[in-house]
Order: sequence, then structure tokens, then C-alpha cells
Amino acid sequence: MSYLEYHAKTTPSGLRKILYLNWPLTLLLVTAAGVGFLMLYSVAGGSFSPWAEPQFKRFLLGIAAMLIVAMVPTWFWRNISALAFFLSLLLLIAVEFFGSVGMGAQRWIDLGFMRLQPSELTKITLVMLLAAYYDWLPAERISKPVWVFLPVLMILLPTFLVLRQPDLGTSILLMAAGGGVMFLAGVHWSYFAAVIASAVALVSAVFQSRGTDWQLLKNYQYRRIDTFLDPSQDPLGAGYHITQSKIALGSGGWSGRGYMQGTQSRLNFLPEKHTDFIFTTLAEEFGFIGGFTLLSIYVLIIVFCVATAFATKDRFASLVTLGVAITFFLFFAVNMSMVMGLAPVVGVPLPLVSYGGSAMLVLLAAFGLVQSANIHRPR
Amino acid sequence: MIRKPLRPLARILDARAKGENPDSIERENLRIRHEEMQAKSRHRAEGRLLVLGIFFLCAYAAVAGRMGVLATSEPREPVAAAPGSVIAMQRADIVDRQGRILATNFETHSLYAQPPQMIDPIGAVDRLVEIFPDLDRERLLADFTGKRKFLWIKKKISPEQKQAVHDIGDPGLLFGPREMRLYPNGSVAAHVLGGAGFGKEGVSAAEVIGVAGVERQFDSYLRDPANGSKPLQLALDLTVQAAAERVLDGGMRLMNAKGATSILMDVHTGEVISVVSLPDFDPNDRPRPPTSGDDPSVSPLFNRAVQGVYELGSTFKIFAAAQAVDLELVNSETIIDTRGPLRWGKFLIKDFRNYGNALSVSKIIVKSSNIGTARLAQQIGAERQQSFMDALGMLEATPFEITEAQGGKPLLPKNWSELSAMTISYGHGISTTPMHLAAGYAAIANGGRYVSPTVLKQNGPQLGSRVMSEEAAEAARIMLRKVVTEGTASFARVPGYQVGGKTGTADKPKPRGGYYDEKVIATFASIFPAHDPKYVLVVTLDEPSIIAHGEERRTAGWTAVPVAAEMVGRLAPLLGLRPQVDPAEVTDITLTSN
Repeated sequence: MSYLEYHAKTTPSGLRKILYLNWPLTLLLVTAAGVGFLMLYSVAGGSFSPWAEPQFKRFLLGIAAMLIVAMVPTWFWRNISALAFFLSLLLLIAVEFFGSVGMGAQRWIDLGFMRLQPSELTKITLVMLLAAYYDWLPAERISKPVWVFLPVLMILLPTFLVLRQPDLGTSILLMAAGGGVMFLAGVHWSYFAAVIASAVALVSAVFQSRGTDWQLLKNYQYRRIDTFLDPSQDPLGAGYHITQSKIALGSGGWSGRGYMQGTQSRLNFLPEKHTDFIFTTLAEEFGFIGGFTLLSIYVLIIVFCVATAFATKDRFASLVTLGVAITFFLFFAVNMSMVMGLAPVVGVPLPLVSYGGSAMLVLLAAFGLVQSANIHRPR
Repeated sequence: MIRKPLRPLARILDARAKGENPDSIERENLRIRHEEMQAKSRHRAEGRLLVLGIFFLCAYAAVAGRMGVLATSEPREPVAAAPGSVIAMQRADIVDRQGRILATNFETHSLYAQPPQMIDPIGAVDRLVEIFPDLDRERLLADFTGKRKFLWIKKKISPEQKQAVHDIGDPGLLFGPREMRLYPNGSVAAHVLGGAGFGKEGVSAAEVIGVAGVERQFDSYLRDPANGSKPLQLALDLTVQAAAERVLDGGMRLMNAKGATSILMDVHTGEVISVVSLPDFDPNDRPRPPTSGDDPSVSPLFNRAVQGVYELGSTFKIFAAAQAVDLELVNSETIIDTRGPLRWGKFLIKDFRNYGNALSVSKIIVKSSNIGTARLAQQIGAERQQSFMDALGMLEATPFEITEAQGGKPLLPKNWSELSAMTISYGHGISTTPMHLAAGYAAIANGGRYVSPTVLKQNGPQLGSRVMSEEAAEAARIMLRKVVTEGTASFARVPGYQVGGKTGTADKPKPRGGYYDEKVIATFASIFPAHDPKYVLVVTLDEPSIIAHGEERRTAGWTAVPVAAEMVGRLAPLLGLRPQVDPAEVTDITLTSN
């Protein structure tokens, strides 16, 4: 029995729950999505089709999903989290066999009315499962090797499946978010230190061995890693996106060229301008001020999540809330650094802004969990 | 973990004594413990959250900072974005020693069709056949109307053809970029360059691979993007090469030869300044290799300079003389018995003419006496001769860096007997390429050091191991000059340039053994300027035959020598050699004043 259930009586019930939503958070989410509609309208050359309109419909669907999730008490989500994770894992495996191939990777299951991307779903079910696991696990066992090994397995299983699709961005996100939840749950420092140390050792071993007799990778593989890490070596090939988006940012300057005045995206210099690279359009049209404002909105969303996590006394609720915050943070941090050439290009969308159904829907549902934690917290 | 008991006995007993409910103590303790644990884990979680928060702030600062930097940066297109650079710059150029282009890349297009997307296949076929008359109309029609989804029509088309096809306006006719190797000088240096063809082909690009010559030998270098399109610099000189080809081609026709080759080599560096093999071809449009069964030497692809393995005859005599002097068995004035014929077992060695009973070593070379040279070889012995030939590189294929050179393995006697030594001394019983001969003469010319022939430009002399003493080389050099001034190569007197050299005329072997009487390989191996040699020029004519003074002449003195002389006269000024003008009579200078 968690703390929540003792205090079930003090939590609001019925439609009154709506009043207890975290309204600032909701408002911020709507604002971010609004920026998305603006940008999608702009990149389509001042038209609601083909992107802004479906995005808006899916946003409404997502908000509805968020409200429904928010209405349901948190304990329910805790109890079904194992099942949810298991289902999303099944879907991931199903993608292997029945998925459609898009952009060279197998990621979708076509449900008829929408394309479901199970890897998106997994991001949130993994966080739920880990939160439920640490809620259930007695505090003294948290750092025991067996009980550390178990969640590591939970993280690696979907990561492996996603990596096979192949979708490097999502698998990095899964690992980082899962690791983040474990860290917050209080797993001993030494485990993280060991993982980081061995990763560093492996990477440096691979690079140190370059050019020697016992080098671990083939020369062309090293060359690929080089371009992956530093796309500017190949400005017209792998580095094309980056080069063009840097130009767009520079062209936007301090205050931007004005709404619908961006040349880089308008003249089709940028592929993926409506999905992963939409930030460049924003930065070109609204400049540094626009980009910084969006970044601030994101940061505020995180701040409100953390505040909710502090307010709730329930371990599951606070871990899920922080897990969602971490996932959200990783989304925009990785996307922005990739667009600005700080990180290699891996396919990660800009949350709530980039065109894409599954990501938007799943993310809003995840914020539903945060809202649920907020509504059902003891007062 | 040591826990405080939930029901401490003392307090329970105390409570019982006071009549209180002992269970409330347990509840109270449980609640305290719960709260302690909560507080502890909360404390820890807050610590952890702080760490994540700091990390988060760093990331935030990095992203925001980067945004600021980019926002204030000048928008600038990448420098490498020159038009067409992706494809055209893939393979490095080949340049001559002055940096002039021998091979470069050229962007062209391929033409392919996707019949399912065609609007009017039959009309398109008619128009295509107009543009490309060599296309097979019926076949194209069958392809366009059949089930094929994709087909190549032309691998390379010109811009005009591309425009014409574009004007057909059919969406099923498509172009793919093609990088093509271009040899702007046509057939000049064809055998060295070799040629290039397409490897793996795709719609958007095709891999260019070297198929012969330096293109093949240095294929991986030329393709490696790590070299940053730094051109491959050859030792060849484009001007000299072009002149050599013209002169040799004229000479070959004049002498009615069916083939000819010449090699011009720097004696100190081993750089091959020019190498010609005729007949040749245009590497832009490389002919197909001959089908098996044919004699490969008939094909224009055959490189006589490095693949043609011939008995080079009397040109080898100078090696015997030089070695004999080097071993101090003789000097150039030592008298050798030349009474003929020389009998060795059942084998007879004869001279072209009878040169008398005795000749000095120098005269043996000048007159080209087989008997005299064989006598020298007897003194030297088979073993020493073999190691001398080895030191001159005569026993292995030349290290010349084109693929074909590896095929030019010398033919050597199976058993290097005394008799072999005698025949080898005058150039029979050993077959080498003209390139081997050039390297051997270079060793004499540079004072006795081996140089390995190279196609790549060198920085400064590349002298190898010592083959003979400087004195022996000097003696041999003087003998070579005498061959021109008083011997068989009198046609090699080039005004202004002193040439030394040795002629060689060898009967061509029949494919099934024995020798032809009327087919010869005529060779003149020369060094110039004779007093301080800088270059070796080897000219070899295949089956020359002219009528001079009412007689059919085939010997090198009548055929190869005049051609070589003409080449020296034409090439020496291009090489920057100053002619030595004999002091002419000083004419009176009249100061006139009208």
C-alpha cells in the first residue's frame, strides 16, 4: 500500500479533477504545440496542408488522451505498467515482421487510421515500468547486483529491438532515460561510474587501436565514424543537413528574417524541414530570440514537472514524473544540439513541434501521467 | 542492517503495567520508521536530482550558447560546394614532369530508360535512333514496349546529345551523371597511361577504375580521397614524348618496320622521360584486347618497351667489354685473338665479316666482333657474367611502374654454361626488354651505378648499388663513342651533339625454333652527350628493311641508327642540352655606313 491509497479521500473526484490539473504545465504544452503549428504552416509555404492541419487534429487527440490519462488515479497506471511494457515490447517485435519500411528503417505498424511507431510508445512504458519497479523494490535492495541487473535487462531489451530497425536516436533516448530513472531511484554511484568508465575505455580502445596492427575496426568504418562525429568533413554528403541548418541559423541572426520569410527552408535547401530539422526554420524566421523563447518554454515545462514530482509523496508518481521530464529533456536537447552541429545527426524530433503523430500522441499521454500525479497527490 | 525493534520489551511491559494498548507502541514505531525511511530516500533523491539538474543546466547553457554563436555567425556556404565537385574530383589527375595534364576527369552523362514511365515509347525510339544512329531500332522497341523496368541506352553521351534527348521530353528517359577519364593528348603516352573503364555502375554514379598502365598500377592511390586530388606526377615530359612519337613513327614507316619502340631515360635518376611503343592507340577509346590465340604483339595494346622480350644482339657486347675491364682482365687496348670461326664443341661462332686475326678490345666493340666478345666472355666465366647481369637487373622483370612491365620477364638459359656465357656476351641466348637494355646502358653512362627505371618523377639522383668501377664505365663510354665516330653507327653523328652507342641486329626467332633469315630486330642503344652522358636513348625497330645503294639493308646501322640520330637531334634541344657548335671560321665583320 502506497501513501496515496491512505489519502484517497483527500484527492478530488469526478469532473472536479479538471480543476486540479497542473494548468501552467498544460498552458505551456499548448504554447509549444502552437509554435509547431505556426512553423508547419510556414514550411508548407503558408498552407494548412499537408502538415499543419493533420498535426492540429492529432494534437486535439493527444490532449484528449492526456485528459483521460490524467483522470485515472496513479495507482492504476502503476499496476498496469508491467503489462503496458510487455505490450509495447510485443509491438516492437511485431514491427520486425509486419512493419512497413520508411526512410530505410522499419518503424511503423499501419493501423489504418494512423501509423503506430511502437518505439515511441516504448519510451514511456519503459519509464513507467522502471518507476513501478523501484516503487515495489524495498529500499535496501536497490543497489544489490541482482536487483540492478533486472532493470538493466528491461532497458536493453527494447533498446536492442529498436536498434535493429535501425533507429539510433530512439535507442539512445531509451538508454539515457532508463539510466536516468535508475539514477534518480538511488542505485549506487559505482554502477554508473563503472558503466561510464567502461564506455570511455571501449571508445578510446577503438580509437587508440586505429592505425596499429591490431586495430579493432576496418578503415572504412573509422572513416564513417569520423563523418558521423564531424559531418563538416563531408559538407555535401552526410554533413549537408548540418551545413544548411547552420546557414539557416546564421541567416536568422538575432531577431530573424520574419515569419514566412525564411529562405533556407522555403527554397527547399533543407530536407526533413518539417520533421527533425524544423528548428532551423524557427531559428531563421524568428532568430535567436525565437529559438531561445522555445528553449525557455521547454525548460519551464521541465520545471513544472519537477515541481509536481516534489509535491507528490508517492514514489511511483514522482519517478514517473521525473522520467517523463528526462525523456522530454533528452528529446529537445538532442534535437537542438544535432541541428546546431553540437551532436551527430540521429533521428530525434523536436518534441511537440516536429510533424509526427506517434511522438506527439505518446508525449501528451505521458504528460497525462504527470497531470494524474498532480491531481491525485495528497493535499 | 540493524533495526530498532518495533516492540521493545521494556516499553511493552511498561505499557501493560499502565494498562495502555501495547499495539499502539508498535504502530507508533512503525510510523516513525516509515517516516525515517521516507526522509532518507527523499534526501537521497534530492541529491540525485541536484546532480541531474546541474547536468541539465550545462546542456541548457551549451544549447543556448551555441544558438547565440550561430545566430551571430555569418551565413556562409561551404567552400567545397564547387559545382560538380563531388563526382569530378574523385579520381586524381595524372600530370607530366612539368605539371601538364596527361589524364583528368570529365563530367558527362549516361542515358537510361524506365519504360513504365514512358508516355510515347514508339515515338521516343524513332527520335533516339535519329540521335544515335548506331542503336538497334527493333531491339529498343522490344525493350521499351516489353516488361523491362530499366535499361541502359548509352553509357556516355555528349552535351549536345543530352540536349537532343532532353528535347524528346519523355519522362521515362533519364540521365545519370558519369565521371569519365579524359586523356587530352590523345594517343600521346598511351602505353604509359593505359586507360580507365567503369567498374560498378549505378544510375547516379559509376566507379572509374584503371585498366592498364599507371592508371591500373596506381589505381588505389588515384582513387583514395585521402590524397585530396593531389595529382600523380610522372617522369614523362609531354613535349619530349610527343616529339619522340612523331619522329619514331616517321622512322618506323621510312624503315618499313612493323613496330618500333624507343626509351629515353635520365641516367642519374632512372626517370623515363619518354617511352614510345608503336603502333599505339588512343586511351580515350581503348581497343579491345586481342582474343587468345593471336600473337599479342600484333595488338596496338602491346607495349614493346616493357613487354617485348627480344634478343637484343650486339648491343650486349659492351657489357662483356665493361666487365672484362672492371675485372682488370683487359684494358681497352689489350689485343684479343679474333681468328674465326671460333669452335666450341659442335658450335661455331662467326663474325659478320672477317676482321683479321687480332683486334684490341676497343676495336672489337667498334667492329662488333662476335668472336672477340666471346673470347672476353671465356675469360670472365659464366658465374661472374651471371652475377654481373643480375646486378644490371637483367634477370628479373623491370621495376618500371606500369602493370605491363611485370609481364616482361627476361628469357634466360636454363643452364648458364660456358657456351651460354659466350653467346650472351654478344646478345644471343638472353632475351630482355628494351627497358632492361636502357637501364644497363644507364649504369655505364652514369659511372657504374645501377639505376632502376621509373615512371615517377624523382627529386635528384637515385643511384643504386655499384655495378662496375668508374674506370670500367669510363672505358666503355669511350668505346661507345668510337662506335659512332669510326664504327657501325656512323649515321649517329648528330651535328652539335656527341652520341655514343652500340648497334645490335638480331635475327627474330621462329615460334617453333630456329631463326628467320630475313626478319630482324634492329636496336641502337645510345648515350648522349657522350663526354658527360645525361640520357640513354634506346631505339628498337621490329623487322625493318630498306633498300640502300641497291641492296636490301636490315642491320641496325642502316635502320635504327638514323632514326635514333634524328631523335637525338630533335629531342636534345627540348631537353635543354646546348649544342656544341664547332668553332666556325670567323667571318670578317664589316662595319658599314651608308
